[in-house]
Amino acid sequence: MTEQQTPAPIVEISGLTKRFPGVLALDRISVGFRAGEVHAVIGENGAGKSTLMNILAGDLQPDGGEIRIDGSRATIASPLASRAAGITVVYQELALCPTLTIAENIMMSDMAARSSLSFVPRDQMRREARAALTRLGMGALDPDTKVSRLSVAEMQLVEIAGAIRQRARVLVLDEPNSALSKRESERLFEIVKQLRGEGVTVIYVSHHLKEVLDLADRITVMRDGRTIETIDNDGLSEDRLIRAMVGRDLDTAAQWSLQPEARSDEAAIVLSVEKLTAPGLDRLSFHARAGEILGIGGLPDSGKDMLGEALFGLCQRSGRVTIDGKELRATDPQASIRNGMALVPADRRGAGALLSMSVANNVVSASLPRFSMVGFMRRGAVRREARAQVARLDARISHLSQKLATLSGGNQQKIILGRSLVTNPRVLVLHEPTRGVDVGAKAEIYAILRGIAGEGVAVVMISSEIPELIMNAERVLVLRNGGISGELTGAGINEEAILARAMAS
Amino acid sequence: MADAVRTGARAPATDRFTMARLLRAREAGVFIALLVLCLFLSFATDGFLTSLNLLNVGRQISLLGIMAVGMTFVLIAGEVDLSVGSTYAFSGLATGMLIIAGWALLPAIGVGLLTGVAIGLINGVLSTYGRLPSLIATLGMLSIVRGAALILTNGQPVTVNARNGALPDVLQTFSFIGQGYLFTIIPMQLVFFVIVAVLAWIVLSFSNFGFRVYAVGGSAKAARVSGISVNKVKISAFILMGVLAALAGILGLAFLPSSQAGRTGLGLELDVIAATIVGGASLSGGEGTILGTILGVLIIGVMRNGLVLLGVSPFVQELMIGLVIIIAVGIDKWSTRRTG
Repeated sequence: MTEQQTPAPIVEISGLTKRFPGVLALDRISVGFRAGEVHAVIGENGAGKSTLMNILAGDLQPDGGEIRIDGSRATIASPLASRAAGITVVYQELALCPTLTIAENIMMSDMAARSSLSFVPRDQMRREARAALTRLGMGALDPDTKVSRLSVAEMQLVEIAGAIRQRARVLVLDEPNSALSKRESERLFEIVKQLRGEGVTVIYVSHHLKEVLDLADRITVMRDGRTIETIDNDGLSEDRLIRAMVGRDLDTAAQWSLQPEARSDEAAIVLSVEKLTAPGLDRLSFHARAGEILGIGGLPDSGKDMLGEALFGLCQRSGRVTIDGKELRATDPQASIRNGMALVPADRRGAGALLSMSVANNVVSASLPRFSMVGFMRRGAVRREARAQVARLDARISHLSQKLATLSGGNQQKIILGRSLVTNPRVLVLHEPTRGVDVGAKAEIYAILRGIAGEGVAVVMISSEIPELIMNAERVLVLRNGGISGELTGAGINEEAILARAMAS
Repeated sequence: MADAVRTGARAPATDRFTMARLLRAREAGVFIALLVLCLFLSFATDGFLTSLNLLNVGRQISLLGIMAVGMTFVLIAGEVDLSVGSTYAFSGLATGMLIIAGWALLPAIGVGLLTGVAIGLINGVLSTYGRLPSLIATLGMLSIVRGAALILTNGQPVTVNARNGALPDVLQTFSFIGQGYLFTIIPMQLVFFVIVAVLAWIVLSFSNFGFRVYAVGGSAKAARVSGISVNKVKISAFILMGVLAALAGILGLAFLPSSQAGRTGLGLELDVIAATIVGGASLSGGEGTILGTILGVLIIGVMRNGLVLLGVSPFVQELMIGLVIIIAVGIDKWSTRRTG
């Protein structure tokens, strides 16, 4: 940090309050963001981070308190006012037009500032978009490419390129790298540091404590709609941050460093995969034993993200997938369920859950025949089963008819787990089992998975989070280029070993 | 590690005007279909490939085309307007009644167009600030405007002629607009269509407003955080639609100077939407072009004309049009199934 006497905050928030029906989302929070700092905002889901960011973006209006920008009181009445004040928010859920080109997206704000009746300066647009891309080291992208054809990572960088182009003084990055590969994240970090050097304030909202510690100058911890503290990032540890976020002392040894006990090789092989070939996967062969947690790791382009769907039969595949010796037909998810496979997909909002339906209906949605009689739902049985699963998984809901959309990420994930368990799976395949889930709920989900494995289910955990694999899996397969580049067991499972096999060329 | 940014397969920037690019364009399929249809009709019938018949087709599609141009804006903006058939009737009738009441032509047409503006404004405000889905808002307006036309005319036919009180010189100009020919050969309706289409093409493809329409329909959220006033853009699209429906209604009355509130333009909204969709506009917004819409209108127009020339019964014609809609949109969906 520089030796300047604590520079005056560029954005100062004091006593800010926001109330939603039944919830106090922000409770008199106070925090100051200084020029040229990377300021991380961390907290569990529901701590109020998103509400705060939405207020800065002009999407929400506070019910009380004040925001000062450059020392004078400001009202951020609209997204446009936010931009005018030099604030740009890059949302977790991308705000891009998929039907427009990269250049059109990057230049959209410029267009918005012009008269409706003016002509669109295509060449200038293309030129300036290319300059913005080059600045981020993405000069190879064609500005005329439609955004719908980009990968999520590319889209995110395009959005950041747009923000940088507008000379934002305050750049808010909301979970910016949840979809980025390691290399892309590193590029993003370089960009963040570069911007800090140029005097831009970067507000960085993230679940990843390690990168927060690497990147941030100061860290504000939020919990239950309050700002707990703002700390200089000076010799902090993850434990210290977790304690502040959770507000209770997690037994870190028990929760985070527990090495799974090695299981004997005697257990029966439940899942057997031979020469599985599908989009992104090339003649993959492996097996999983009853009662084990098998971790699958790899970079985003390794094919691991296709594995869940391929095993479950959601896409065309060749090769053999068998459970207890019975072969599963390709592209027949119903047969997969009948034969004992359950899938918890990564994309909870899309593929994973029926967000607009009740908790109870979600729990039974993969096993409807069992819960219906001559075409009618057996409501009593449905509720009994749902209640049992909710209790077993310790999901915090207010009632069984509650819509899934109103639950937190962690509780949604528990309900989806419950749905999988109702099908009595022999093999449980999870893809990114704790994405968008807060720290406390993560530990709970891990405990649940161990319990499930303990009952003799083969658990296949596909994850981008290496610590998650290390913590839970007895055996880890590392994928690269659609094949297996390494198998690690027991004490051999560590971050360096996994990364080495994932990135070896 | 493979660098996703660099390895993504995509067209190089330089082949912007190559044949391959042209063929990939959304309009190419519709254009080829139209070409095949025209070739077939040229051989199968004597009358199709004559300038007289082609200009006749041009006249027949003009009113549909003018409205489809408006619908293109509305669909790209991610909305839909079901009230256009009613607007067509109402605005025509309003202008007709004013002419009969002895008004001069321009004020009468001006008021007719203003009714279109008003209906479009109401549609737009209901669908944005009113937070109604435009499908519902304009379904309501379909009935309301039709009802208003019935009340206005008391359900009686309105015939624009001298006996009913129209001034002779007004009547003459009015008839020319609807029935006349430019240079004694090009139907005036077609002239209007061409002017509207060219202006709309310029606005949609090159103006900042056109850009906003695409942005709003592609992702309202992205547009909003960029500082684009989503509601204003959508309302503008509805107003444009209303004016063009009114213009078509007035031209329609000028062509056939008798109109009845209970009949005129009934079900027209579906033809308009069909033509626009065949031309490649997407009901989910963000996609569509004026060129595509013109091709869509032409396909439906040529199809109807050809079926008449071939002596196909009107009942079968109706069925064939339905098939064309499904096949045209289907080919697009089936052939562009995402490749990655």
